[in-house]
Amino acid sequence: MSTKQIIGVFDDESVLLKATQKLKENGVNIKGIFGPSADHDLIKKLTKESRLPYLSVATGVITIILTFAFVYYVSVIDYPLHYGGKPVFAFPPMVVILFLVCILITGAFTTFSFLTSEKMFPGKSAKVVHPRSLDDRFYLVLDRNFNPEEIIQWLQDSGVEEIIEEENEA
Amino acid sequence: MDTSFKPSKKLLAILAAMIAIGVVALIAGFATDSARTWPNILLNNMYFITISIGALMFYGIQYITGSSWSALFQRIPLAAGAFLPAGFILMLLLYFGLHDIYEWSHPGITETDKLIAHKAPFLNVPFFMIRMVIYFALWIPLFIMMRKMAKKEDLEGGEQWYIKSAFYSKVFIFAAVLIFSLAAIDWIMTIDAHWYSTIFGFRAMITSMYYGTAIIILLVFYLKNLGFLKELNEAHRHDLARYLFRFSIVFGYLWFMQFLILWYANIPELTVYYSPRFLGEWQFFFYAEPLINFAIPFIVVMADNTGKKKPVMIGISALLMVGLWVSLFLQIMPGSYGVLKLGFIEIGIWIGYAGLYLLMVFTALSRIRVVPVNHPMLQESIHHHL
Repeated sequence: MSTKQIIGVFDDESVLLKATQKLKENGVNIKGIFGPSADHDLIKKLTKESRLPYLSVATGVITIILTFAFVYYVSVIDYPLHYGGKPVFAFPPMVVILFLVCILITGAFTTFSFLTSEKMFPGKSAKVVHPRSLDDRFYLVLDRNFNPEEIIQWLQDSGVEEIIEEENEA
Repeated sequence: MDTSFKPSKKLLAILAAMIAIGVVALIAGFATDSARTWPNILLNNMYFITISIGALMFYGIQYITGSSWSALFQRIPLAAGAFLPAGFILMLLLYFGLHDIYEWSHPGITETDKLIAHKAPFLNVPFFMIRMVIYFALWIPLFIMMRKMAKKEDLEGGEQWYIKSAFYSKVFIFAAVLIFSLAAIDWIMTIDAHWYSTIFGFRAMITSMYYGTAIIILLVFYLKNLGFLKELNEAHRHDLARYLFRFSIVFGYLWFMQFLILWYANIPELTVYYSPRFLGEWQFFFYAEPLINFAIPFIVVMADNTGKKKPVMIGISALLMVGLWVSLFLQIMPGSYGVLKLGFIEIGIWIGYAGLYLLMVFTALSRIRVVPVNHPMLQESIHHHL
């Protein structure tokens, strides 16, 4: 396995999109694409399906069950109090509490899960491949691949502007 | 590019058969029990006016926000509002049945009922009819102007028609939101003249936008099946699904808000509305309403992928058509007819109205291009993607 990191520099999004498609079809491991703007076609092609929504739903369901148990314990078992002529166990007023607690816990938990999985924290400095990736060029970073010569050939065929090869940090 | 839509002979025959069923149901209803038939006529008037106004509000919102994604199928919400003139005539016919629906219209009730006597300056038959005419006098000319602008855009082209459409959409949205809330209070809430809910008008307005979106989804998929709207892609379908999803949340929120406050306050004047529905024989419909209109659409369309699936969206939209009926049935029947009866009269009249509604929509659609060829945002809409 090559320890070299191959970086292709592109100045046209459509060329980059075609190159990415070619590399993906051939099973090349793409580490990331860095550029000045977000391209939805590229994002769709590159990203794996996120499991974050499933985590959200699971958290929401668990939160609702736990909150229900808590409210039930408080208002029915531990401190049953009649007010307003209502039964001790009444579902309608609970809905508001369940709804709010569910949103609060799920929102916070999902946010922190996302930050943890992306290894982001406040004060972290951003990694920039090259200063021009913030300006007008797209950087396609390929990492740990078996066939660097073939990849360079493919990149050159696709109309890449420049190819940079550098040693891996690790 | 697509040319205009022509309803096939088979479709017209089906619609004619539906209208015939409706006429038979109406005759059967008046022959057996006219007190049961008049509330049904009000229900179906309200049902299809709700859908029409909702679809036109969708159309107006696209112009107000300058949306480009919907330009491709924009003529469909416009055509879906074509029922309004027929709705006007059918609402006027209600004049002969007011006594079977509204308690406040009974002659002499102001002498025995103090509360209705207090409300009499507003709730009397002449003023009720005048208000009805005013509402439609605002909606129908605006609708006609919106159609005219759309037609001119197709024939002549040019940006000025877009700008004029946007102007009439703005006026229409104002008229629709304000007036439809008032209309719902007038036509539905006054059935229970002793009861009131301040959220009623707003809820009716949101409901209208919700089911307007559902009928747009059904019509869009129908036309797509016939071979129109070839450029309609996954992103359009997904956006429509999200539109529906958001309204399902708002619907659930308002439904629960209205119920919770009245339930908790426990004031006899207000709980009188909910007691036959929540505890009496209407209980089944009471629980069916939030289940059909909120819970099922919310859970099904919540996942990102289901919104892109055609059968799922058709199923949900068709279910919502039932849901609107249940919702209005629950709002109208306990106060007007008072006894739970569900039979051929109810279903037959609905089928007849549905036939009439679809006939008017398809006729309107056949007089206009399905795809607005000269719309300035058409290309942007065709290439809509996420």
